[in-house]
Amino acid sequence: MDMPSKTQQTPILGVEDLTVSFEGSRGVIKILEGIDFTLYSGEVLALVGETGCGKSVTAKSLLDLIPQFSRHRSGRVAFGGKDLLNLSSRELGRVRGRSIAMIFQNPQSSINPVFTLGEQMYRLIRMYLQNEIDVLCKQKKMNKKAAVHEIAQEKLAEVGLTEANRLLKSYAHEISGGMAQRYKIALALLSSPKILIADEATSALDVTVQAHVLKLLKEMSQKKGTAILFITHDLGIAAQICERVAVMYSGRIVEIGKTIDIFEEPLHPYTQGLLAAVPRLGNSDPLRFVSGMIPDLANPPQGCRFHPRCDHRMAVCSNQRPHYNAKDRDRSVACHLYTSKAAG
Amino acid sequence: MSKALIDLEDIETWFPYKKTLTGKVTAWVKAVDGVTLKIFTGECLGLVGESGCGKSTLGRTILKLAPLKSGNLRFNGEEIQHLDDRGFQKFRPKMQMVFQDPRASLNPKMTVLQILSEALAICPEVDKKQYAKRATELMNMVDLRPEHLFRYPHEFSGGQQQRICIARALATQPEFLVFDEATSALDVSVQAQIINLMADLQKRLGLTYLFISHDLSIMEHICHRVAVMYAGRIMEIQDAHALFASPRHPYTKALRNAVPIADPTQKDGMAILKGEVPSLRSPPGGCRFHPRCPHATGHCRKEAPEVSPVKPGNWVRCHHHKDLWKRGTLGG
Repeated sequence: MDMPSKTQQTPILGVEDLTVSFEGSRGVIKILEGIDFTLYSGEVLALVGETGCGKSVTAKSLLDLIPQFSRHRSGRVAFGGKDLLNLSSRELGRVRGRSIAMIFQNPQSSINPVFTLGEQMYRLIRMYLQNEIDVLCKQKKMNKKAAVHEIAQEKLAEVGLTEANRLLKSYAHEISGGMAQRYKIALALLSSPKILIADEATSALDVTVQAHVLKLLKEMSQKKGTAILFITHDLGIAAQICERVAVMYSGRIVEIGKTIDIFEEPLHPYTQGLLAAVPRLGNSDPLRFVSGMIPDLANPPQGCRFHPRCDHRMAVCSNQRPHYNAKDRDRSVACHLYTSKAAG
Repeated sequence: MSKALIDLEDIETWFPYKKTLTGKVTAWVKAVDGVTLKIFTGECLGLVGESGCGKSTLGRTILKLAPLKSGNLRFNGEEIQHLDDRGFQKFRPKMQMVFQDPRASLNPKMTVLQILSEALAICPEVDKKQYAKRATELMNMVDLRPEHLFRYPHEFSGGQQQRICIARALATQPEFLVFDEATSALDVSVQAQIINLMADLQKRLGLTYLFISHDLSIMEHICHRVAVMYAGRIMEIQDAHALFASPRHPYTKALRNAVPIADPTQKDGMAILKGEVPSLRSPPGGCRFHPRCPHATGHCRKEAPEVSPVKPGNWVRCHHHKDLWKRGTLGG
């Protein structure tokens, strides 16, 4: 479906028809229904959508971080020649954190409160960077402990945390949210992962701190070629740091394309509605919005899940699920409005 | 200009941080440190700032939900700063608040009717028999259906829950409403609906709002004037469109530039403001913003700037604002 914008870009993660559902007291809840996307190395892909559209579940099911009880899933997640969905928990453990790292929304709660930041960081350094420790020990004739500390300092400096000595002795509650998130990024990057999944990583931060963290992530991705899957509900962030944007609605990606195309000419009626609802500086007109509510996932609408709220709905929308229509190489949209055009 | 409904004079809200054995407070967190402000009848005043700058505390202080240490607080010309809880009771119906997390601010064991009745109970003029009728009116006001009255909060979506909170705040027929990050927990399209509802209610009922938020981009859609708060003080207050088009304080500019703009063609945004928000236990001397300000001079380090008026109701607290303005440094 979506093709690389530059020929040298290589696909690194391929998600095909990923479907996740839970069996609950109200029947089967279909959270994801056929997610398709490809992540290319060195790019930042935004996954945007409203609460409950399944964007976090998408991220978590890539690494199987969702509770396994009563969960059903199908599809394929191709990474490094393997299908992540078929790996045993032991094999998956080697992928988690090492090849695919993740940072979460609330940094303070994803740091262990009973260990100092140093203890947590040293442990990961000993796990991932054994070679560097040995090299440093030989070069500078220092003991292992001092080498680990030096690496920690260096890695913290990379994310702009200069007071490493004080920081490494602190506990999670003693540092600010912005510092905690930068520390988490430093930890996530220790293993030089190929993919970094950022799940609403800056939503809990102030705009000024958020600007810091976003700039840092962008730099890291450019410098190290790490692909970032950036999950956010903030279209401003998507516009500012992401090369491509995938818009999700009720368990499906409804539109994917280059950021500039999506913002300049949104194709899917939902994307159009979402963009119109964004408050903008320098504008005081009443805000527009998509009427209606997000569908109940236990009993989703037939056909296109967006059709009850759509202004352009046709007869076909209520009984047939739209397929992806590629508009051009980078762009595809799941909407019947464009079906005839693609066919013709 | 119309008269001031809320008149704050040198408000200080301090929280004790360290006490001696005898209970004498030796250190304070100065959450609100000398705020002078007027909110005019029928206006919506925005209050922005980073977390921990004291904006929520200021909102709570006006409703006497936070301890006022000193300063004058006038509502409709009457002094209310000295009133105790009992004395303040007659003002409560006139001043209401809507909080950030609607789920947490609605009692899960009460139906919507019970929730609204609880608010109606503090209005002496409403008879008990009229509760259901009045509750139906309120539901219509916030675009919810009357049959929703018999449901529990968990049966509603976040946007609907916030509508219930607004209905509850309106139940007492207030003149003044404080919205404390009331739309921050909502999705953009739901947020748009709530903002439009708030603007509509304000026009219809002639309400006065204090709209507290960390999100600058929604301010212009609803606020008439916006105050920018930093480390317990208000740095600048201007008409909403003027504030964002031509900020006069370096901090306002930094805050505005940090907002990611939902337009990929404008990549110059997201300028970085160096440093961290100062601790309110020991705020920096002189101008509070000087350690992070690109234009700070020795004068800024030594002396806190006084308020300099720009036009009626608009002022800025910066030593160099005239200079910066002339040079166009803060520009459009």
